[in-house]
Amino acid sequence: MYEIRFHGRGGQGGRMAAEAYALAAFLEGKYAVSFPFFGAERRGAPVRAFTRVDDKKIRIKTQIYEPDYVVVLDETLIETEDVLEGLKEDGMVIINTPKKPEEVQLSKPVKCATVDATSIALEILGRPITNTAILGAIAKATGKVSIDSIEKAIIEKFGARLGKEAGEKNAKAARVAYEKTLVGVSQGGKEFVPRKRWLPTVEEMPIGGAIGTLQTEAGLVGIGSFIENKTGDWRTFIPVVDKEKCIGCRLCWFYCPEGCISMVEDKATVDYDYCKGCGICANECPVNAIEMKREVRE
Amino acid sequence: MNIKDLPEESLFTPGHTACAGCAAPAIVRNMMKIFGKDTIVYTPANCLLVFSGTYPHLAWKVPYLHEAFENTGACISGVARAYRRKGRKVLVVGFAGDGGTYDIGIQALSGAAERNEDAIYVCYDNEAYMNTGIQRSGATPYGASTTTTPAGRKIPGKLEHKKDMAEIMRAHEIPYVATLSISHPKDFLEKVKKAKETEGFRYLHVLSPCPTGWRFDPSKTIEMARKAVDSGMWTLYEAEYGEITNIYKPKKKIPVEEYIKGQGRFRHFTPEMIEELQRWVDRKWERLYGEKP
Ligand SMILES: Cc1ncc(C[n+]2csc(CCOP(=O)(O)OP(=O)(O)O)c2C)c(N)n1
Ligand code: SF4
Ligand code: SF4
Ligand code: SF4
Ligand SMILES: [Mg+2]
Repeated sequence: MYEIRFHGRGGQGGRMAAEAYALAAFLEGKYAVSFPFFGAERRGAPVRAFTRVDDKKIRIKTQIYEPDYVVVLDETLIETEDVLEGLKEDGMVIINTPKKPEEVQLSKPVKCATVDATSIALEILGRPITNTAILGAIAKATGKVSIDSIEKAIIEKFGARLGKEAGEKNAKAARVAYEKTLVGVSQGGKEFVPRKRWLPTVEEMPIGGAIGTLQTEAGLVGIGSFIENKTGDWRTFIPVVDKEKCIGCRLCWFYCPEGCISMVEDKATVDYDYCKGCGICANECPVNAIEMKREVRE
Repeated sequence: MNIKDLPEESLFTPGHTACAGCAAPAIVRNMMKIFGKDTIVYTPANCLLVFSGTYPHLAWKVPYLHEAFENTGACISGVARAYRRKGRKVLVVGFAGDGGTYDIGIQALSGAAERNEDAIYVCYDNEAYMNTGIQRSGATPYGASTTTTPAGRKIPGKLEHKKDMAEIMRAHEIPYVATLSISHPKDFLEKVKKAKETEGFRYLHVLSPCPTGWRFDPSKTIEMARKAVDSGMWTLYEAEYGEITNIYKPKKKIPVEEYIKGQGRFRHFTPEMIEELQRWVDRKWERLYGEKP
């Protein structure tokens, strides 16, 4: 048996990827199961999905704690999620990134495959949905399932949901990713620091349950404390304001769901720590002073 | 009242976890700017609660309470009375979703309205139970595909039309009822201000386009709200003590087809279904404007 853990963000389709991979293995006569795990959070929040493949019936129903392969659909998750957690000694990480495996910084050197699935998806699908391209990379990196079966599984699974043409385009994205995947070894030495959670005991809870703003070891809690949650890494596209064109009408300031636009000397200024890249500001600006650009991250 | 009259300071922080492009955070942030800091907020279970109040974090900078799904009306009644008893002037506001308003919360809401409690009830209407994964509600429009009305061989999406909740509230003859759209800032802000200044029970109903549940590109959220108004799918008006006092009329009415076009939940629509939805819009239009569209 081998086990794969997918790390993605809600809305990126990690669950569909896990399911399509299971289907591809099934088409090759294997037993395969897959399921997602997510908390109460929305699109953009870290989510996990799992796939198990075996030659015999699979009876384990638990989450996967010691994966053979880890798939990372969104590179920024490496900062916030312990992606190497429990990875087997000779396990491998497959990451969506423009970097080469040797340039990827992790907490220890591990076998690593990389592919720029976002660019492939944008080019072929016109949308930054990377869950099919990454499947091609998994096929290449692991050699556990053929790219033909991956393509068949994608056409069957995505085709049924999105129509035949979309199914075929997604299969093509997987094929292109398959051809472009690089396999090597990552860098080590970048220690992963897990975020502390503040979970008070009953005695620590204020009577009546009311919490003001508290500074704790884990950071701010209570009133206004979401300010510490930087949502900027959800973004694929970044709004760039042309200050010359901006007439200071404040429409973007009013409409931005994040409230992360402020007016500096009457010109719109975006706080990129929070901007999720939705594109509403660019769509609504009456003088087209905002342009959404593909974000390039260090 | 216009955008430029709004204070800079926000009582709703960034860092919340709503989907990119969600209309709800912009709606509550701008409403809170007018309600001000002497406000206490109640929210039942819904997306807003989960993206702005997941323990131990909170996006609100005012006292904020989470209550059960069905009793927003009862909770805001009790708190408003407690403050009155204490002689303190605090604005009590409940923010509930359409599921929490049209369906499960309607009894407590109707009771609070009938007793004319001194509180504001805001329904942000994203036309389904989004937090639990897009189930149909009484607010879901005809034909929309949701996880409990999946368009396919058996049914073509939801079989029933949207319930007219604002009209039900108007029939309570409360001091103030208004329908709002974030795409019309001046109208939106004036209504929020009016609600704040009115005493007794006030009901604000705002359309809240949801890119995840309606399946459209997140950059189009405001455009969707605007098209909802321009097509007559969403109508803007105010009523005081049951009498309509102000109606907004779109300059040019667009066909519903224009509105449903970019939304995945309507993707399966046949010409007959479009006609059915258009007939519903036209009936509503005629009732409100007293003339054929
Ligand atoms: C009594 C009860 N039933 C069911 C639930 C589960 N639940 C939590 S949020 C939610 C959906 C809320 O829908 P809506 O009010 O429309 O708000 P939205 O999430 O769409 O913003 C449901 C069904 C609950 N919390 N309590
Ligand atoms: S909408 Fe455009 S013009 Fe108006 S403030 Fe924003 S950037 Fe400037
Ligand atoms: S892209 Fe969206 S989140 Fe970013 S500044 Fe514009 S409106 Fe706000
Ligand atoms: S599911 Fe819809 S309403 Fe809920 S946070 Fe996402 S966009 Fe907003
Ligand atoms: Mg809802």
